[in-house]
Amino acid sequence: MRLISLTAIAAITAFPLFAHADDRIEDALEARHGYMTMLAINMGTLAGMAKGEIEYDEAAASTAGANIEALGNYAVSDLFIEGTANGEVDDSDALPAIWENPDDFVQKFADLGEAAAGAGEAVKGGQANVGPVVQKLGGTCKVCHDDYRKKD
Amino acid sequence: MAEDQARRVRIWDPALRAFHWLLALLVVANWLLGKFGPNIMTLHFWLGYSIVALLAFRLIWGIIGPESARFSSLFHHPRSVTGYLRDMVKREPSHWPGHNPLGALAVIAMLLVLIWQVGTGLIADPEDFVNVGPLANKVGSDIATKADAWHALGADLILIFVLMHIAAILFYRIWKNEDLIRPMLTGWKWVRRR
Repeated sequence: MRLISLTAIAAITAFPLFAHADDRIEDALEARHGYMTMLAINMGTLAGMAKGEIEYDEAAASTAGANIEALGNYAVSDLFIEGTANGEVDDSDALPAIWENPDDFVQKFADLGEAAAGAGEAVKGGQANVGPVVQKLGGTCKVCHDDYRKKD
Repeated sequence: MAEDQARRVRIWDPALRAFHWLLALLVVANWLLGKFGPNIMTLHFWLGYSIVALLAFRLIWGIIGPESARFSSLFHHPRSVTGYLRDMVKREPSHWPGHNPLGALAVIAMLLVLIWQVGTGLIADPEDFVNVGPLANKVGSDIATKADAWHALGADLILIFVLMHIAAILFYRIWKNEDLIRPMLTGWKWVRRR
């Protein structure tokens, strides 16, 4: 009886610690997916305009470009904390290679930032200006996905 | 005795030979482009469409083409496959007219994996907004992103099949002293009546 209550007390007091660790992981994962979705929404707008599936609208294009620029400047290290790799937590497509090649991973995000620089301005002035920006940005998506994202 | 004599016969028609070498060239080139090519995969897409055209030709040729190109000559009884396997280790040319029972299975497998590969490629969405398959929006994003993984699996299968194909050619050349490359270039092959 005593053992059970001790165990219960230990479990109850320890619980917040576990919960806390879990929260960090959960938050990073959720934020990461949100970050990628935000990129996807804005990239979707630009890609749609480049293909002519969405009618070109200079203001909307520029907003999407500027959003990607802002996201490209965001330091993502907090979104890729240890313990959030595929296999360590459910619903993660982040390959362990990220944590094995941190410098290269950071560089690939820097490449996105570089490609995104000035995107808000570059997509102004006509539908024909959107395609090159999408290609430059999309190329950096692919390079990073190829090495660091699980295909599923 | 005369019946056992090998004769030189025109087995592979010109269209089939052109198909074979074009397909070999395009598949190898497109595999390399897929793995090591530019991030904007425009050329990979165009070679892929060309492979679709070649496969379409092959499917038609399998129905209306000459005897050795027909699908009917690709499907052998399982017993002839095991029989062929038993004799395969003999150090002598097979002199087989057309696709032998085992080689026919390889042809079927390679055609199927290539159909798989163009199919998954057309609907694949790698979520990079630049290399999205032209039919990806027809299948829904769930299947489209999965198709991207299936396409990568297909690339691995193609590598395995190509290496096995080359190994088989070398096996015939070295072990069985039978050149299978020249007949695919000239159409003429030493065969024995079965």
